[in-house]
Amino acid sequence: MLSETVLKEIEEIKAKYPSARSALLPALYVAQREFGWQSEKAMQAVAQALNLPEAEVRGTATFYSMYKHKPMGRHLIQLCTNVSCMILGAERLVDFLKNRYGLTQNGTTADGRFSLVIMECIGGCDMAPAMLLNTDFYGDLTEEKIGEILGGYK
Amino acid sequence: MITITINGKEIKLEKPVTVLEAARANGIKIPALCAHEQLEKYGGCRLCLVEVEKMPRLQTSCTLTVADGMVIKTESENITKARRGVLEFLLINHPLDCPVCDKAGECELQDLVSKYGASAGRFKEEKRKTPESHEDRILARNMERCILCTRCVRMCKDVQGASALTIVERGGKSRMEPFSRESFNCEYCGNCHTVCPVGAILARPNIHNYRPWQIDREVETVCPYCGVGCSFILQVRDESIKRTIPKLGLGLNNGLLCSRGRWGYDFANNPERLKYPLIRKNGKLEQSSWDEALGLIVNKLQTIKNTQGGKAIAGIASPRCTNEDNYVFQKFLRTACQTNNIDSVSRLGFASAQRYFEDILGQGITANMIAGLKNSDVIIVLGGDPTAVNPILGLSVRAAARNGAKIVVIGNAKGLERFKTLKVTPPVFKEADVLEAVLSEIAKVKGPRGEKPAIDKRINELAGKYRTPEISGFNELKELLLSGKSVSIVLGTDIVQRTNGHKALFAVAGITYLLEARLYLLSERANEQGLIDMGCLPDALPGGRPLNINDFRKRFETSWGSSIPSDNGLTLMEIVDASRDKKIKALYVMGENPAFNIPNNPYVKEALSALEFLVVQDIFLTETAEIAHVVLPALSWSEKDGTYTNLERRIQRLRKAVNAPSGMEDWKIISEVSNRMGCKMQYRGTEEIIDEIADISPLYKGLTYDEITKGNCLWPYKGEPLRGVISEIPAAPEKSDDYKGDFYLVPEKLLFHSGTLSRRSSSLNRICPEPSLKIGEGHAQRLGLKDGDNVKIHASDGNLSIKISTDRYIKDNLVFISNNFEGRGVFSLLRYSLDPVTKAPGLEGCEIKIEKA
Repeated sequence: MLSETVLKEIEEIKAKYPSARSALLPALYVAQREFGWQSEKAMQAVAQALNLPEAEVRGTATFYSMYKHKPMGRHLIQLCTNVSCMILGAERLVDFLKNRYGLTQNGTTADGRFSLVIMECIGGCDMAPAMLLNTDFYGDLTEEKIGEILGGYK
Repeated sequence: MITITINGKEIKLEKPVTVLEAARANGIKIPALCAHEQLEKYGGCRLCLVEVEKMPRLQTSCTLTVADGMVIKTESENITKARRGVLEFLLINHPLDCPVCDKAGECELQDLVSKYGASAGRFKEEKRKTPESHEDRILARNMERCILCTRCVRMCKDVQGASALTIVERGGKSRMEPFSRESFNCEYCGNCHTVCPVGAILARPNIHNYRPWQIDREVETVCPYCGVGCSFILQVRDESIKRTIPKLGLGLNNGLLCSRGRWGYDFANNPERLKYPLIRKNGKLEQSSWDEALGLIVNKLQTIKNTQGGKAIAGIASPRCTNEDNYVFQKFLRTACQTNNIDSVSRLGFASAQRYFEDILGQGITANMIAGLKNSDVIIVLGGDPTAVNPILGLSVRAAARNGAKIVVIGNAKGLERFKTLKVTPPVFKEADVLEAVLSEIAKVKGPRGEKPAIDKRINELAGKYRTPEISGFNELKELLLSGKSVSIVLGTDIVQRTNGHKALFAVAGITYLLEARLYLLSERANEQGLIDMGCLPDALPGGRPLNINDFRKRFETSWGSSIPSDNGLTLMEIVDASRDKKIKALYVMGENPAFNIPNNPYVKEALSALEFLVVQDIFLTETAEIAHVVLPALSWSEKDGTYTNLERRIQRLRKAVNAPSGMEDWKIISEVSNRMGCKMQYRGTEEIIDEIADISPLYKGLTYDEITKGNCLWPYKGEPLRGVISEIPAAPEKSDDYKGDFYLVPEKLLFHSGTLSRRSSSLNRICPEPSLKIGEGHAQRLGLKDGDNVKIHASDGNLSIKISTDRYIKDNLVFISNNFEGRGVFSLLRYSLDPVTKAPGLEGCEIKIEKA
């Protein structure tokens, strides 16, 4: 289950809202950070911390696609292949990730280092092609550049 | 006043309801699959579309509130077309497998599709495929048939309050699932199954078992399990109960049931039922004729009465039997047997508390409507979990919480953990001290009230003695109680089962008195109140009339044409003691299993074995029947007519639904014995017994069988309740023990079982197949144990091997085992000492050691 520090963190989130239910989405992020993904244990821990029904937590967690619904690598690459990015060569980046790292959509590298999610627009059209690596934004990507960036995430 | 027109008919409305509600109230049918009378409006299925003048599009009538002057059409070519279109969408994924679906024949979707003719869809794509899930113990889930109306989810969350179901994922992948994906792990009320308009949630006991149109008869009756007394319809085929169905507008449960009411009926279909009378011959119970068995009973009872006097005979009545059975039973014992030694297992809690409260607060103090709970602003729950003991009453507590009421839990009540405002955990077995302190604090503000001097006097005496307990939440508790404008107290029997239980009861009575609160007593069995009112007590005649007041007794003697002994009889535990001491020679047990249902089983068994003559009337060969001299087969609740009185004191009709292949009504057997003993009882039916009760007891002066059948029989039945209260509150010497042990064992009241009937229900056994030791999660961790581990527990004289179930809400060092499973009931380990005032057994202080098996 969650450590005292993490429970305290959830308590602090809870204090920002009029009801515990409102703290569910941010609390799920905290649990995801601790458990790696929205596992049954993670959702149970959140339900317990917020005194909410487990089923309700699961319903909410599974509704949102941006939570991790299966175990994933340490670092999450979210690459955009929407119109602007596609025109400026995002497909080449997809191929690059596949050839270099063996990454496919929703896949994880064998060493558990990276996972890839191909995204719809992430609002970086002015710097297309763009990606999010965990919570860091990178634009104007090329094959060399993406290789270099990934090298920085161990 | 709002005036609207629906289909050319002018309708006047007091309140702004929805168009759908207005139409239905006026007999105009509008199809709807997501809207349901018990649920909040949702607007999901789009079938209730109607035309409203001056509105551009078709409107969903379930979400549209009426406005003055609205002109509405519920049927037109346009509407039909739209509904057919909606149905076509719903059928994109629905398999239309009606021939193998158990819902066929009572399926709302099927009815609509056959009406609007949308079965021939135009979609070419494949239908979604999901195999039917049978992972759960009792409910099957078919997500191909589901139309995502979310009635089940809303029922589970908003009405039942269990919140076990949810819609997972979204869009085309949405489906209803419990948290674990497979097993529901819920309260198993089955109310999701009731409201499902299609065959998506099915009851496994009924799958491929019969068709709705193959039912021989439907009979409206009352549930046999707890003291709430829910109404339902029994569906019978081939003299076997197929289902219990709750119905909107029927009874106080209004369309809802709990797990016991929903699934527990099948004990009556159990093949182990007793089929013929048994007589002990050469130490073995052997089949006999009715005549031989009755003859033997009469002979033995006569001999004992003539040689030892009536005092050597005792009777144990049953809170599972009807009012008529119990009335006849006590009349038989008082007249034919000349004894007042009559009591029941209700002494363990309900009867003790109920009598105590009536003595000091007046008759009828506990006769409060369950529906009234919803209007309370503060509810104190103590001594038990209403959502387990009396689940439908528990729902009212949850509903009150949703309406904004503050729920205060004293002790443990798991079912209210998400609904409570405050939980106070008294030191183990010291509830009375905490309650006395609360009472004294309240008295500082509200007392004395002056209406009942004896109570005011005792409160005053307490004021100098109490100490503020060092427990967290005490001040909030006091403040909350004082802030309430409409306070209700829900009292379970746990705190009655203390050697000083009367102290806690007085404190509760005092709080009730000062706050003018409504008092609800949880009642574990269907007719506990009825049994008390029928005079199955050692000190009271029917209607609660004290036996030792000559005028009352004379009246009964005249009417019954026989003398009645004037001394109070023995209470339940005293009957057991006297049996062991051979002062009681003969015991007549009707519909009860004292060898298992009274604490300290080994002692009770020893006492019963010492009897010269033990008669048991039951429907199964219980632990008690096994040691009896004569066993008579009675009828189950579904096989007889009669009445039950629920914990609100509402008298309700039981109707015979099934023709029993063998056995006789309890009252009939007793009458037969009584007749043979020379005390004539010539009842032709239960109606004549009710007439006699109404005739003899001023409390039931206004009672008629017709009134009961109509369902309007509420306290005080247009009769005359007793007015007096006692002038001196009974007291006993103070006793103070310290409880410093590791763990103390106490009884648990399970949601899924009740007494020893439910263990014969295969469905309830499927839901809850074995006993467990419930223990606080923190304590379990400390012992290196986790949920499901097997342990061995050692009590002062006895061991038990059992698995544990951890509960994170239990913080104190109480551990719980229920008393439902053969050979593994908590009463085999618990010893007791009597509360000198209420004569209830005190069960506190059973220290145990737990070791990993």
